[in-house]
Amino acid sequence: MTRLRIDLQDLLFGLFLVAVATGTLVATRNLTVGHAADMGPGYMPRVVAFALMGFGLFFTGRGLWRMRVGIAPVQLRPLLAILASVGVFALTAERLGLAIASIVTVILASLATREGRVVETIAFAILLSGAAVLLFVKLLGLPIPIWPR
Amino acid sequence: MDLFNNLLMGLSTALELNNLLFCLIGVVIGTAIGVLPGIGPIPTVALLLPFTFGLSPASAMIMLAGIFYGAQYGGSTTAILVNVPGETSSVVTCIDGHEMAKQGKAGTALAIAAIASFFAGTMATIVIAVLSVPLSVLALKFTAVEYFSLLVLGLIAAVVLAHGSVAKSLAMVLLGLLLGLVGIDVSSGVARMTFGIPALSDGLDFVPIAMGLFGLGEIIANLERPAERRVVSQSIRSLIPSREDLRAAFPAMVRGTTLGSVLGVLPGGGAALPPFSSYALEKKLARDPSRFGKGAIEGVAGPEAANNAGAQTSFIPLLTLGIPANALMALMIGALMMQGIQPGPQIMTEQPKLVWGVIASMWVGNLMLLVINLPLIGLWVSMLKIPYRFLFPAIVLFCCIGTYGIANSLFNVWLMMGCALLGYFFIKVGVEPAPLLLGLVLGPQLEENFRRAMLIADGDFTVFLSRPISAVILGVVAILLVALLSPAILKTRKEALAE
Repeated sequence: MTRLRIDLQDLLFGLFLVAVATGTLVATRNLTVGHAADMGPGYMPRVVAFALMGFGLFFTGRGLWRMRVGIAPVQLRPLLAILASVGVFALTAERLGLAIASIVTVILASLATREGRVVETIAFAILLSGAAVLLFVKLLGLPIPIWPR
Repeated sequence: MDLFNNLLMGLSTALELNNLLFCLIGVVIGTAIGVLPGIGPIPTVALLLPFTFGLSPASAMIMLAGIFYGAQYGGSTTAILVNVPGETSSVVTCIDGHEMAKQGKAGTALAIAAIASFFAGTMATIVIAVLSVPLSVLALKFTAVEYFSLLVLGLIAAVVLAHGSVAKSLAMVLLGLLLGLVGIDVSSGVARMTFGIPALSDGLDFVPIAMGLFGLGEIIANLERPAERRVVSQSIRSLIPSREDLRAAFPAMVRGTTLGSVLGVLPGGGAALPPFSSYALEKKLARDPSRFGKGAIEGVAGPEAANNAGAQTSFIPLLTLGIPANALMALMIGALMMQGIQPGPQIMTEQPKLVWGVIASMWVGNLMLLVINLPLIGLWVSMLKIPYRFLFPAIVLFCCIGTYGIANSLFNVWLMMGCALLGYFFIKVGVEPAPLLLGLVLGPQLEENFRRAMLIADGDFTVFLSRPISAVILGVVAILLVALLSPAILKTRKEALAE
């Protein structure tokens, strides 16, 4: 944590809001706005987007103005491991079935920390996969294939 | 004796065999996730939502409610034995509860916490039952105009009383509203912000959003911190508190319950604010405040009672007006909508069995919690020994499967992944995600009622002020906003939340 000239938290949040507001305005540019008594589909999105834009500019400005403690550095390992494990689940669940998808997801997620041991992780993944199949497919009747089809 | 009849009807619903079973499942799951630090009730409820489809609305709500108040019980166990709050609401219990455990009085602390929780839960059930009737009578006078104002009040109040910067929370509510607008516009049939993705035409499901923001984002942030060593406190000797202990704890329980019941009803209150306020109150009232922090029994009894009372009375706005007091209640609204029940002021007259059944089930659930908590304490303690490196991959997997399960759609899994990244970003920039969820769930209703009100009034904005109920509600909103801008109150609020 270092002292910065700018408030990075405010600045980033502000820029994020400005980006969302801009995106909304672009995405809804073709929708009819209408007027208060007869609102078109574009009325509310536009109102909200303008309000968000206001907040975004406010935070951006305040972020540049104030001095604050910076953000703790981002650690890529947990971030990437968790996101990747979810992504892999989305890619494999319907094609390879729940059993295999679960094993891969758990192993990938376990990579988020350095504490895990290989054999232990694999055994745990197989155990969890079995539990997930039993609980969600057999017991709760989730319509998802168990094995590759 | 309308109240008595209503409670009787509720009890008969709650005591149906399958509802008893779901209540038990709910409180057991709740206790388990309460005991485990790092898993909160919000992702858990989100995870279980898809599987409540097949249940009757009453069973579903009874189980989900059980998870919420069960988690409050479990959270205190971890706080006392490990000095780590199992839930944010049990932060205060760590202070004196863990100190008592260090002095060898872990059993007493656990028992007092459980008894205080049970006492508060029972009283809060009565408060809910008494308050619900007049509120629902008032609610029947509501039209789109009043309901819009009420929704605005709910959102604003939730922001004011929640943690963190008010301006940021307001921005988050707006973000939630915006996400709620995605999909086909009901009145014109035009697709809005769907970017040509067919999965978006029905709107964004809030379950993947809740799980991504609250569950996964939290996990990523947790993993960045160095792993903590958990030392589970010594063996628990006697679980039965002495008469002196009870005598010292009882007044604190009563005060905590009262405080918790009042704060719980306020939007944004829920379970986080009451224990802090109660601890501060007990310390102020004590003859010898220096005992606090060194194992004062009042410091456990008061906050625990406040915490449970608050958790339960936060159901009042939901059950009577259809307004969620916090993010978890927003999920409950979602659960109702998935069951095809439109939450709103009419819910009490249209679904009396559901509402009173849930209310009565809370008392039944509290009784179950008392029984499963004290004798089974050893089981919960052994759960604490599961290391985090096993827990989080399991949570990730269950989140994936649960999200997929809502609509059997892989799109939702991708959406959850995006929200996990977003949730991590929000944690990094220091913004609370809860207001976003409120905005997301209330957004569609807000728009619909606003449009309808404008249609009635022919585009005349003054309608919100010319109708008395609506004017009063908006007056409260104005007072809240003005109060926020005044620096004196801003300072006290900061201190109150920091304590």
